[in-house]
Amino acid sequence: MSPAVWAYSENEGVSNEVASAAVEVAEGASAEAVVVEIGALREGARSPGAKLLLKGPASPQVSPEVAAEALARAAKQAAPMAILIGATRNGREAASRLAAKLSVGCLSDGSKLGTDGSTLTAERNVFAGKVVAKLSCPLPAVATVKVGHYARADAAPGETREVDVGPIQPLVRVVGREKKAAGAVDLRSAKVIVSAGRGVKKKEDLPLLEELAKDMHGALGCSRPLSSDLGWLPEEYHIGLTGVTVRPDLYLAVGISGQLQHIAGIKDSKIVAAINTDKDAPIFQASDYGVVGDLYQLVPALRKALAARR
Amino acid sequence: MAIYSAEHRRLMRMLHPADHQDYSEVLSSLGAFMEKEVLPLSPKLDSGEASIAAPRRALFEQGMSRIPFPAEYGGLGLPFSVYAMAVELLGTADASMALSVEIHNAVAEGVLKFGNKAQKEGRLEGLLTGKTLASFALTEPASGSDAGTMATSAERKAGEFVINGSKMFITNAGEADVYLVFAKTKKGPSCFILDAPAKGLTFGQELKKLGMKGSKTHEVIFSGCTVPEENLVGEEGKGADYAKEILHGARIVVAALNVGISRLAYDKSLAYAKERKAFGRSISEFQLVRAKVADMKTGIDAARLLYLYASRVKEMGDDFASEASQAKVLATETSLRVCDDAIQIHGGYGYTTDDLHRHWRDARLLTIGEGTSEVLRMLIAKREMARES
Amino acid sequence: MKIAVCVKHAVDEAELKTDPSGRPVLAGAVSRMSAFDKNAVEEGLRLRAAHQGEVVVFTVGPADSKKTMKEALAMGADRGVLVVADTAAIDTMRTAGLLAAAIRRAGPFDLVLCSEGSSDTYSGQVPPMLGELLGAAFVGYARKFEVSGQLVRVERSLEDSVERVEAPLPLVASVVSEINEPRYPTLIQIMQAGKKPLEELSGDQLLPHGEYREASVVSMSVQQSARKRVLIEGSPDEAAAKLLDALTKEGVLAK
Repeated sequence: MSPAVWAYSENEGVSNEVASAAVEVAEGASAEAVVVEIGALREGARSPGAKLLLKGPASPQVSPEVAAEALARAAKQAAPMAILIGATRNGREAASRLAAKLSVGCLSDGSKLGTDGSTLTAERNVFAGKVVAKLSCPLPAVATVKVGHYARADAAPGETREVDVGPIQPLVRVVGREKKAAGAVDLRSAKVIVSAGRGVKKKEDLPLLEELAKDMHGALGCSRPLSSDLGWLPEEYHIGLTGVTVRPDLYLAVGISGQLQHIAGIKDSKIVAAINTDKDAPIFQASDYGVVGDLYQLVPALRKALAARR
Repeated sequence: MAIYSAEHRRLMRMLHPADHQDYSEVLSSLGAFMEKEVLPLSPKLDSGEASIAAPRRALFEQGMSRIPFPAEYGGLGLPFSVYAMAVELLGTADASMALSVEIHNAVAEGVLKFGNKAQKEGRLEGLLTGKTLASFALTEPASGSDAGTMATSAERKAGEFVINGSKMFITNAGEADVYLVFAKTKKGPSCFILDAPAKGLTFGQELKKLGMKGSKTHEVIFSGCTVPEENLVGEEGKGADYAKEILHGARIVVAALNVGISRLAYDKSLAYAKERKAFGRSISEFQLVRAKVADMKTGIDAARLLYLYASRVKEMGDDFASEASQAKVLATETSLRVCDDAIQIHGGYGYTTDDLHRHWRDARLLTIGEGTSEVLRMLIAKREMARES
Repeated sequence: MKIAVCVKHAVDEAELKTDPSGRPVLAGAVSRMSAFDKNAVEEGLRLRAAHQGEVVVFTVGPADSKKTMKEALAMGADRGVLVVADTAAIDTMRTAGLLAAAIRRAGPFDLVLCSEGSSDTYSGQVPPMLGELLGAAFVGYARKFEVSGQLVRVERSLEDSVERVEAPLPLVASVVSEINEPRYPTLIQIMQAGKKPLEELSGDQLLPHGEYREASVVSMSVQQSARKRVLIEGSPDEAAAKLLDALTKEGVLAK
């Protein structure tokens, strides 16, 4: 086992976060953090420390299947103590495949990653964010790194080494990719989100919340029932464990009861405010500011008050 | 809200220590289905914006009408108490649908109990799967549950019965494919299976009801309507006894239905009381509101236990007429009080909101329908006085 | 088409209790089929309806997992294989290893379906591991399948894009919950599920321990919400004004 902690993500921005995590982990074991690139170096991936370019695949746009195989081949030679991968959907797949290929354990969606030289440790949320679990795995190990948790490192890269891992023939062929509707993209970067739940009585009432979101220069989101069960909004608007995870400055939950699955998707919001008719709705336990009342009275009142202040 | 709640689960465990897990699986699955497919539609059924037909068919497809019937006819063979609780759950999801389904099932029970082999084989599969809808035609414009005084006649003519007269306040009328009709022959009140459409079978205007608006109610008119001889159910002249027996079982179910209505009105009231503020406090902190909550819950629990008790007496094969009637009187009168209290707790909103006062309007039917409280009290007293000590 | 569906008897996080020291009480916690797994079962049933064949449902978990198996069988799966193991004490690799062994034993299968992650721990690791261990193609986060011959066209739902891929059979795939609306089993199906074949295997016998380094949970504690939980009262206009004042003070209202 060599004293190296590898960092990889197919997503440039996330790659810089994972690099920060790798630097932290490496410090604990006097090891070296190495940012791995596959196929070719990417311009935007600016991170400290050494770089390792795995040559073989033709471009940096590799599928998780190819990434896992390339990483496995390189790791079998170089034997890093830990390989960290950004916990995007593709990253989760790449990490799980890699762990299986290397027959090592895999920690999932970790924050506060660290090592004492013999085990890799991390914290993660389980049971829809209700519980924090401290995890550990003997080295060498693989882990995925929670997205948005580590700061994005921005520094001139160090030296770049290259390893040829040879050509890789994937079983799964990517034939096309389309951007999803704007909703999802806006939600992830939105500073203000107004989110609609079951308290909205009919689809025709959604413009009410849309207008409020507009007034607040924010984006509209929703809880799972509105997109999955009722189909009032596209799936891209669904905020929660299986939908979009958001981290706005202000999250305003309107008529959302606050099921754990939903709370799991808004945990990292700076301020959460909620409007709900049920005083006992769990959303109030997960809010900074709560108003018990009828959204059909409160939303117009909020719009009026906002207009008066501008 | 889980329609099939932890309280229901616990009661099933008490009633059926050996098999409660299976029964709870059935009821919780049914409850989850109702929660998603029936409960949200309920206000629209009341306002007439939605039709009962499609969700009722979906409910039949889930197996709602199979529950208490024997497996040989496609039933699930589950105890009556499980069926009664299923109707309670449906009463919470939508009372008018529960009424429609309960009457349909009462007809199936009548065919099973008093029909001959050919009638059972010909009808029960359709009724239990809900492919055919049934209606129970007993009450007349001038006579209620007193089957003996009915005016509708059936005359035997060349291998057929010719029916003349009319029946009033008939649930599922106009929609049903099968009518269980009671009419007087020379030998007295008799019971017939009538397949619709039939010559001489017509319906009056849909009746405008106070509540239970999702279900359809009409006068049913027979003018020279013919029924083949083989559609006579059981013995000629025994119709009044059959009607009584069918109604005894139905009364337990009606009791369950009303507990279902009460429970929803109670749940809404409790939530509202916690949320609504007056004089700077939640109204749930006021003693008089608390007294209402206590009385509502006590009444609901007592009525629920009594319909389950009557169900168990029926399951054991004992005479259950008194217990069934007690359950119906208690549950229906309790639900009127609970729904009235619910309106009171909601104040002006209670009086002006369809979604709240419809519970009272729905509940209001059943101290009248399927045996008035007055008639049932007489029945209870008569049975209890005759009981050997 | 022979289809395997993997499900998990998962602790229901909504009913999870805490002990006085702030640790979750997992012993005896209410468990049921992980909600997203119903989508995997449903997709298996739909593919069976379109392509004939068999749906076999697999799980690794405590003996109590029978309930979850019964639910999948009630939905329409043909038979089930339950690998009994203490899931609280084993990691994702061992879970995948046990599933792979059980699937191999009952196979071969054309398609192995999982959900994107279980509702309790939601790591989503088992499906890709299973693909590797079975030496089959793997596609994650599928929201649409189109099977033609030995080729499957799949739409994958990623964070902000939809990716179209082609994969050969045999295929292991995880599905997202938007893929379908799971059916309700009818009461008859629920009653008859208990009569469908359900095989029980011992995890310890199926796969020896010590094949690889296992990750473990060191400790768990309930996360305290650090939110302020200020309740704002008053008429709608008063409450709206107070809420805006508070949000302005926090500096979170976009200018």
